[in-house]
Amino acid sequence: MSVVEIVRFAVRGLVANRLRSLLTMLGIIIGIAAVILLTALGNGASQYIQGQIAGLGANSITVLPRQPPETAGTSGRPLTTGDVQALADPQGAPDVASVSPVVQLSTSVDAGRSRTDAIVVGSTPSYFPGANVQVGTGRAYTDVDVEAGRKVVLLGRTVADDLFGVGSDPVGRDVLVRGVPFDVIGTLAPAGQGQGLANPDENVLAPITAVQGSLTGFGDLSQIVVQARSTEAQAAAESEINSILDRRHGIEDSENRDYQVLSARQLADVLDDTLGAFTLLLAAIAAISLVVGGIGITNIMLVSVTERTREIGIRKALGAPPSAILGQFLVESIILSVVGGVLGVAVGYAGTLVPLGDFRPVVLPSAVVAAVGVSAAIGIFFGAYPARRAARLRPIEALRRE
Amino acid sequence: MTGTGVTNVLDVRKLSKVYGAGDTAVHALCDVDLTVRRGEYVAVIGHSGSGKSTLLNMLGCLDAPTSGRYLLEGLDVADLDERQQAVLRNRQIGFVFQAFNLIPRTTALANVELPLVYAGVGRRRRRERAMAALALVGLQGREDHRPNELSGGQQQRVAVARALVTSPALLLADEPTGNLDSQSTADALGLFDRLHASGRTIVLITHDDEVAERAERVVVVSDGRLSEAPARR
Repeated sequence: MSVVEIVRFAVRGLVANRLRSLLTMLGIIIGIAAVILLTALGNGASQYIQGQIAGLGANSITVLPRQPPETAGTSGRPLTTGDVQALADPQGAPDVASVSPVVQLSTSVDAGRSRTDAIVVGSTPSYFPGANVQVGTGRAYTDVDVEAGRKVVLLGRTVADDLFGVGSDPVGRDVLVRGVPFDVIGTLAPAGQGQGLANPDENVLAPITAVQGSLTGFGDLSQIVVQARSTEAQAAAESEINSILDRRHGIEDSENRDYQVLSARQLADVLDDTLGAFTLLLAAIAAISLVVGGIGITNIMLVSVTERTREIGIRKALGAPPSAILGQFLVESIILSVVGGVLGVAVGYAGTLVPLGDFRPVVLPSAVVAAVGVSAAIGIFFGAYPARRAARLRPIEALRRE
Repeated sequence: MTGTGVTNVLDVRKLSKVYGAGDTAVHALCDVDLTVRRGEYVAVIGHSGSGKSTLLNMLGCLDAPTSGRYLLEGLDVADLDERQQAVLRNRQIGFVFQAFNLIPRTTALANVELPLVYAGVGRRRRRERAMAALALVGLQGREDHRPNELSGGQQQRVAVARALVTSPALLLADEPTGNLDSQSTADALGLFDRLHASGRTIVLITHDDEVAERAERVVVVSDGRLSEAPARR
């Protein structure tokens, strides 16, 4: 007998018990919808965070001094302008676009009677693209400003709001940085909260020469900001930085480094791993409900086989081979689970259309394919036992049952 | 498996069936010998518990004997596996049960078509043969009725049509009139007479002597043993 006939018998069996078939399917629908929805949530969160990180400046690399471990036997060397020059050498570091030395201090800033705390960042003009900082009003400082050591500053949005009032434009005014007067030549574009390593809204940017000349002295650097040529070149640039600084600082074992290299890419990798694990956890929880749904199928199919024992006996008496009976009940459970799976995908997809806070869930096509595949497998796995029981019934015993 | 060269449709030798084992063993059938020739109409009579239903189950390949040989159309049933027995039931045997045993919520036509589905007959030929079988039992026009829309006598006629539709070598009827009123009983017996007249081999089990009288030969089962009834008239 043909597969078409087997499928027809199976469909007839399911339609005869519409409500029960629907309720059994519900278990699978909920399970699959949960898998689709939860993986979409994880995926949406991941895409949202990736977007946020991209805002940090995907090409930006920060080199920070670090206390080497005690086993290294040295207290380590600071970062110097010599390091900056070495990194800026296109021979040794072809994937580096720009290198900006940075000195930094946390201090109070005054304007008239207003006072606020800020982080003063002294650097060169290449710091703006290197750290992905945008000018809001006024202008950035230039190489001329740096060479002349002009005392000019750009205020982060929060600093400007604190000193001159919310939304004000302080260009042309004066501020006192630890008592030293600086001219305000611009403000920074607002970056928003939680943008990553440092919040430029709370920074005050000035030429490195001015900061060193009047505030910190000409000593060691706080950090070096490096811009890679492109997002793709970032990993290569990182390894060039490592090899140049290892050589200059006399480091043989990477464990003993007296500096560390941070990048948005590394941050993205770490967050991605964390989110991936989180999504997997959600999917695993959802998968439990799928297993419960599968057991529901086994249960209902066993009830169905028991209930239709007499029918099975009649079919066997009329010459149904064991394979036909097996096929009929197996196809019934596969139809239950696959139709349930497809409806579950639809329900899960509908669920993702509801926006949640800042981000939207994004359905993974692979999750859809996997869900339908898994539901078919559930039908076969959880339907196999009841179907085998039906196929193995002795005709005479099946016929005797009332 | 047509076996047209064999004169005996049924050939049963020293067939025994024992239920249980040891002290509690019940001998439902003891060393039964029975042959049925092609075209014969045999009635098996006996009281309830005599073993006649057990015999019918053996003859229909629904149950396996404990010992003895059973040849159906010259073929030893013991040599067949489960799948081959299913094919044998499908091709060579037509069952008519006391309880009709139609598939519920399924039309008369679909019920009659069912053995042909398992035989792998295509949809159109299946329909033609099922309609012909329903016409033979006088149920043309009722093919779309479900079992619960038919009277007991009509249901039994659907069951007979279903038993005949594969043109089996043997028609096995187990108390076919047991659940019917007198008018339907008369109709059903008339149908069996016509089938016999057209050359069908029929083995009918009953406890009703009036039903048995319509057969050309009567065998009696008593306490698991079989004996020929004295020739009538």
